[in-house]
Amino acid sequence: MSEAVATHAVHEELGFLRTYVFSTDHKMIARQFLFLGLFMMILGGLMALMIRWQLAWPETQVPGTRWIPEPFMTDGYMNPAFYNTLFTMHATIMIFFVIMPILVGCYGNFLIPLMIGARDMAFPVLNMLSFWVGAVAGVVMLAGFFVPGGHAASGWTSYAPLSAVTQYTGVDWGQNLWCISLIILGLSSLMGSINYITTIINMRAPGMTFFRLPLVIWSLFIVAILLLLALPVLTSALAMLLLDRMAGTSFFLPAGGGEPLLWQHLFWFFGHPEVYILILPAMGIASDILSVFSRKPIFGYRAMAFSMIGIAFLSWVVWGHHMFQSGMSPALGFSFMVTTMVIAVPSAIKTFNWLGTIWGGSIRFTTPMLNALAFVSMFVVGGLSGIFMASTPVDIFIHDTYFIVAHIHYVVFGGSVFGLFAAVYYWFPKMFGRMMNEPLGKIHFFTTFIAYNCTFFAMHILGIGGMMRRIYNPMQYEFLHPLQPINVFITWSAIALGLAQIPFVINFFWSLFAGRKAERNPWKANTLEWVAPSPPPHGNFDAIPVVYRGPYEYSSPEVTEDYLPQDRQLVPQRVATAH
Amino acid sequence: MMGWLPENVSTYGKDIDRLFYIIYYITGVSFLLVSGTMVVFLILYRQREGRRATYVHGNTTLEIIWTIVPAIILVVLSFMSQASWGNIKGRVPPSEVHVQVTAKQFNWEILYPGPDGKIGTADDLQMDNELHVPVGKVVRVTLKAKDVIHSFFLPNLRLKQDAVPGREIQAWFEATKPGRYELPCAELCGFGHSGMLGHLTVHTADDYNKWVKEQWPSS
Amino acid sequence: MPRGEVVTSIVDVGTEQRVEIPSRVGAPPFTGSPSGRDPFPWSPDPMVGPPVSNARLGMLVFLAFEGMFFAGLLGTFLVFRLGSQFWPPVGQPRLPILVTSANTAILLFSSWTMRNGLRAMRKGDWDGLTTGLSWTALLGTTFLIVQGSEWLRLIRHGLTLSAGIYGATFYTLIGCHGLHVLGAVIWLLIARIGLSDKRFWARRQVGVELGGMYWYFVVALWPVLFALVYLS
Ligand code: HEM
Ligand SMILES: [Cu+2]
Ligand SMILES: [Cu+2]
Repeated sequence: MSEAVATHAVHEELGFLRTYVFSTDHKMIARQFLFLGLFMMILGGLMALMIRWQLAWPETQVPGTRWIPEPFMTDGYMNPAFYNTLFTMHATIMIFFVIMPILVGCYGNFLIPLMIGARDMAFPVLNMLSFWVGAVAGVVMLAGFFVPGGHAASGWTSYAPLSAVTQYTGVDWGQNLWCISLIILGLSSLMGSINYITTIINMRAPGMTFFRLPLVIWSLFIVAILLLLALPVLTSALAMLLLDRMAGTSFFLPAGGGEPLLWQHLFWFFGHPEVYILILPAMGIASDILSVFSRKPIFGYRAMAFSMIGIAFLSWVVWGHHMFQSGMSPALGFSFMVTTMVIAVPSAIKTFNWLGTIWGGSIRFTTPMLNALAFVSMFVVGGLSGIFMASTPVDIFIHDTYFIVAHIHYVVFGGSVFGLFAAVYYWFPKMFGRMMNEPLGKIHFFTTFIAYNCTFFAMHILGIGGMMRRIYNPMQYEFLHPLQPINVFITWSAIALGLAQIPFVINFFWSLFAGRKAERNPWKANTLEWVAPSPPPHGNFDAIPVVYRGPYEYSSPEVTEDYLPQDRQLVPQRVATAH
Repeated sequence: MMGWLPENVSTYGKDIDRLFYIIYYITGVSFLLVSGTMVVFLILYRQREGRRATYVHGNTTLEIIWTIVPAIILVVLSFMSQASWGNIKGRVPPSEVHVQVTAKQFNWEILYPGPDGKIGTADDLQMDNELHVPVGKVVRVTLKAKDVIHSFFLPNLRLKQDAVPGREIQAWFEATKPGRYELPCAELCGFGHSGMLGHLTVHTADDYNKWVKEQWPSS
Repeated sequence: MPRGEVVTSIVDVGTEQRVEIPSRVGAPPFTGSPSGRDPFPWSPDPMVGPPVSNARLGMLVFLAFEGMFFAGLLGTFLVFRLGSQFWPPVGQPRLPILVTSANTAILLFSSWTMRNGLRAMRKGDWDGLTTGLSWTALLGTTFLIVQGSEWLRLIRHGLTLSAGIYGATFYTLIGCHGLHVLGAVIWLLIARIGLSDKRFWARRQVGVELGGMYWYFVVALWPVLFALVYLS
């Protein structure tokens, strides 16, 4: 180990730019991704509130929006085209610029080297580029709001031909920039996944075998592979869409011999792995946190790892479940229904294993634990509602209704975002060297949990009532009139949900500067990141740790404490025990 | 919760609703079991002085059980679904009534073949957003789209089918109750998507004949 | 171990006292770059001789991305190809099979010259490397020039990007491949120019290796495209 220590000593002072801006330190890059994601989350959230206002009180003035100019808003009244832009950009931002940067970009970067016992990523410069290319993608995406014709307005799925021809939406460069931004973001993710895969395969500390990896690393490894193989397909589809828009080709335009459904096939071939990209890291995070705060080994470690691998494989053969009503051959519908039902099985396995983990534990209700528990229960709801839609006949009715919106939000908000909050609270001490405030954290959790369920559970009812998604004014339909009180209720809940984030923001920034200083291992956890100082210096470890066991040896009978870090070598103290 | 489903007035709608109920009960029970267990565990196994967590890594038998049981339930559900799916989307039963619906931004152009039953002849009649059909007859709908993708949605008849430009898609339904029902578009199709709305009028046999007489007085 | 017998407590034994466990992995000393400075002080592999080095593994991962990108375009092509009765569609020119076959041979041959170059490099044979890279660059450029002139002919015959799905799939698929070859040729030229300075070359060996992998990829991809797009 002595060389490693020697290398550490070479550490040179870097200037401000190289420390905070163009840093190649994986932890700084992780923080950059985190701040990018949180900033975008505020934007995406505000858009959601505008959408909700319009749905509850259609065609009334949206408070605080008088400053938004024509053609988006007329004196605070929302125009239908801008409504379409809002939900398109809300989803795009939340998926591509909040959840992916935070769960994959931030926590992937932060945790992989620390948890496998490496000093940094395999390619630190590439890593830095990955962030900056991602940031450029963000700027390009936001620039779309300022071009003539407004921003993309054909949904985050951008179904062609609506997205392929300017006249159909009136959106010109907005849609182009949307495509370009996502192509650029794909490059950023590519650089990320090259790093993640190489680092996990090649740079594990001595003794860190694959089956001693924390599950969160397993999940990030699988996510990196999914990203690597799914994104290029989206890139090729986006390139063709751009050509259709700008070079006169007609890949997706029937008039020129093209095929609109081809876009959907390509998009969902990417899209379904993509939704698992959003949820898998949260699954890993929840697994780790549940085990730590139950003081118990994870239940069925291998089953957990293999079910994630199973999900990764199956996610390539289920994309057609988004297209049951699209005019795709009904015979294909059956195969996609079966694969979709089957992909729910690994999710079920994981859920039962999480229950098995808390069973017989000694549970500590810390804020990260509460969020992880919320993740499990909300993911269950999302997974179960998926079964409705997987059943092709039922999907006839609920496809493209608010039932889908409810499903999306149970898996992506209830799943990924609660996982994200859990991660922020749990790793904050390691990331910033200070603890977050527990009472504020709990206030944030409980208010969020309640407001969240009021908001999104009610959407199931709207969906069952037949309310279509992506409509601007439900009052235009008579059969939706009885549902309008629910819409109003949802909007109030959504406003509460927005307000519930204020304690989080306060807590985050207050703790950043004034939180209690964190020790190395405040949660008494086993994994390697807690071996390093809080926050870890450039180079992470004093000495590269040696790994002797799996990550979840809590309450092991071999030691008196209820945890047994991966890097502790047990020197049998026969002397100490009367033997 | 189920009271929220719009009234069903189609023959196959009850199959869909039945499946809906089945899945609703299965998932409802699963949810209660899972969350109930979770709450019980959270209470029983909360941290207490002097108690140490159990040191177990798993249980193969349990894990096999909870892999196989959901798998069986889900596969059975697929096969139960397949029967109605094949019936609704996999075929079009012999029909006497035929209409062609062309979706365009932001209207449903409904083309009736007229007395000769053929589309593309002089007695065709086109109406915007008004679909008239008789009760108790299989209605075949040929779906087309002029510009972008739209989705032909009849909530009360439990029918939804995208209309895709460049394709002709066949759909069908059989209404069981006369009345006037809404026909919204369910696929985002541009700034006028919201409010793209037609109406389906289901006539009794007599009414329908009268309506036909009015539209095609000469024949 | 039976309960209670060897119960220990977590005492940090400290780095010095740790007993080394025998393992495939262990932190190797940093062998250093020829410049004597470690370009990434924190990145040296903690593993002794991982089966595939970081750089190569990273390149393989990148090639997987490229492979899926072409799979997307190729899938699109196949959808249209299998979905049409007439291919080429009526009124569209046939693709120049003869010339392109010769061109295919040229490109395939270049992988051989590339291989020779890389072999020479590993043996430390600087001249062999220079020759190998020069030939490869020359063959690659020839391939591109032939492709370009054929394209010009096709365009004159009315096969343009916007002339229907036939032209669109052809130009995007073959064009993307062409762009990849162009990128690789530019890289070859840079490497070739760099070779005039021996010290520069010594530091860029890994780069040459990776470029070689990339070259093999674009060469190996071509016969697939040729078979599917030209011959089917
Ligand atoms: C557990 C099993 C799951 C099943 C059986 C399932 C099933 C489905 C089905 C059938 C649809 C298409 C519904 C329609 O459009 O008619 C759908 C949509 C969707 N699912 Fe899932 N899903 C599952 C889990 C997840 C997870 C884990 C995520 C994400 C984290 C997710 C995210 C989405 C999203 C975002 C959509 C909507 C896409 C759109 O149209 O905008 N699902 N799901
Ligand atoms: Cu999906
Ligand atoms: Cu529409």
